[in-house]
Amino acid sequence: MTVISLENVTKDYGHGRGIFDVSFNVKKGTVYGFLGPNGAGKTTAIRHVMGFSKSQRGIVTVDGLDSWTNASTIQESLGYLPGEVALPENLTGEQFIQMMMDLRKVNDDTRCKKLIEFFELEASGKIKRMSLGMKRKLAIVTAFMHDPDVLVLDEPTSGLDPIMQQRFIDFVKEEKKRGKTILLSSHIFTEVDATCDEISIIKDGHLISSFNKQELLKITEKVFNLTIQNETHFKQLVQKIETNEAIHLLFKNEQTKELQIGCYPSDLSKFIKILADFPVSSFNEIPFSLEKHFMKFYDRRVGGELAWQ
Amino acid sequence: MINGTIFKQTLRSNVKLWLMFTIVLSILQVVMIAVFDASTLENVGGLVEGTPLAGLLAQTTLLSMLASTFYSIHGVIFPIIFIIMTANSLIASQVDRGSMAYLLSTPTKRSTIIMTQAIYLIMALIVMFLIETVAGIVSIQVFQSDTDIVVSDFVMLNLGLLLLMFAISGISFFFSSYCNLTKNSLAFGAGIPIAFFLFHLLSTVDQSLDVLNYFTINALFDTTAILEGENYWWKLSVLLGIGIVLYIASLEVFKRKDLPL
Ligand SMILES: Nc1ncnc2c1ncn2[C@@H]1O[C@H](COP(=O)(O)OP(=O)(O)O)[C@@H](O)[C@H]1O
Ligand SMILES: [Mg+2]
Repeated sequence: MTVISLENVTKDYGHGRGIFDVSFNVKKGTVYGFLGPNGAGKTTAIRHVMGFSKSQRGIVTVDGLDSWTNASTIQESLGYLPGEVALPENLTGEQFIQMMMDLRKVNDDTRCKKLIEFFELEASGKIKRMSLGMKRKLAIVTAFMHDPDVLVLDEPTSGLDPIMQQRFIDFVKEEKKRGKTILLSSHIFTEVDATCDEISIIKDGHLISSFNKQELLKITEKVFNLTIQNETHFKQLVQKIETNEAIHLLFKNEQTKELQIGCYPSDLSKFIKILADFPVSSFNEIPFSLEKHFMKFYDRRVGGELAWQ
Repeated sequence: MINGTIFKQTLRSNVKLWLMFTIVLSILQVVMIAVFDASTLENVGGLVEGTPLAGLLAQTTLLSMLASTFYSIHGVIFPIIFIIMTANSLIASQVDRGSMAYLLSTPTKRSTIIMTQAIYLIMALIVMFLIETVAGIVSIQVFQSDTDIVVSDFVMLNLGLLLLMFAISGISFFFSSYCNLTKNSLAFGAGIPIAFFLFHLLSTVDQSLDVLNYFTINALFDTTAILEGENYWWKLSVLLGIGIVLYIASLEVFKRKDLPL
């Protein structure tokens, strides 16, 4: 079931800024990663989901409701973490939490207390005097306090220290297990990689790639490092690999007798059968990294044209 | 329609400013009433005879003196400054800073936010002038007990001033709702009321600048008409109308606009 849906959404701010013909669906119980460099249009898209902005073309819905006309209804079961924290400065953290609880008509503060403890929030002082990290934690607590079914998180870990970043990622995974639907925007590969099932890459306002991480893993080439015990076997193996269509020799070092080999998952058993006849002294897979896979989208020079390398 | 939580929070962050202006306004009113002395004014009137200031000091009753001082200068500019600062902080600065996003990420309608903020501004003005009027009446009793004063005229001056401020607050509130940036909200929301104030002031100082009176709503608060029993009700009704229209326009504009939050 689709929870958040954008259909051909366009918002043109002029000078090529904004988002153009953006479409994607976030299904119930999944974490959707919205990945793109600064200024790509992530916050603009999220503004439309929240009902802050009206699209010039296209439709945005949350739980089947138009997010512009039903903005206040949608918020009942939605938690939002803004990309930039701009809290009302003259309140204390506690007053702010109380205000948000009142506005959301949340009476039970047990979850709130748990969140405060989990993220080590010091809420008693004036917001004005809080550090950026503390303000972000306060924003996180208010986004999750009413235990919403849908979460919209705009660059959630920016401003958090590495320990808190990790804790937040664990928390998001836990929320996903509890069946929450999460839209998470980020410009950091690792946090998207760690949490998301579906990923879209946005650049200059256009979605340039959308994929499912599991599917992608199935179709990408695996890379292995291996070492052969002696030179004769090394040469024989190299020859065998070079004549085999399914297996690709990426790198070889005759001194150390090391090989780097690429092979698609479907051809993996063929590769292993060949290897079985050779004295292999080490064999390991280089873990797949989204970052490497998608770094090319980040390069400014890429845009429908060929990459620079 | 109106949200108690938001109202409480608005009150908490704006009440200090309101209190300051209310106190200053009331003190000014009390001082002006206390120092009034019909005979001194006549002497001063003699000194400035033949100069443009003569017009200002020609009448010598307490109320006419107040009309040409407090009700055209101090009592106008101080509330205007209060309105400018408050109106901007109620909407535009929260949109500009982004803190409006927190209100809108709760099930609160945009119309509720606007109405709550508008009610605060209107109530703040009403209570401010109520206190100022009571302070005025008390100090008239205390300092001018032997002078003959029509209290109903005094009350009408204050009601008229309140209606003028209601209309002006409508201007500032409208631009606060319309603009996403504090600087734009202030450019119009402060610029227009101050221009109106100056036009009116200049037109009273010099006859040749009378034409400016057609370009300011401050002229609709006609103190002469109030004191001389002419018909002033239509002018005050226009002020009321301007205010109502602008507040409704603020609501409609804010409901429909794009928020860059
Ligand atoms: N309200 C606005 N008016 C004009 N341009 C805007 C506005 N908001 C964002 N932009 C522009 O749109 C582009 C996308 O911005 P944004 O969605 O904030 O990017 P991201 O969140 O991915 O960093 C940027 O070039 C930005 O300058
Ligand atoms: Mg952003």
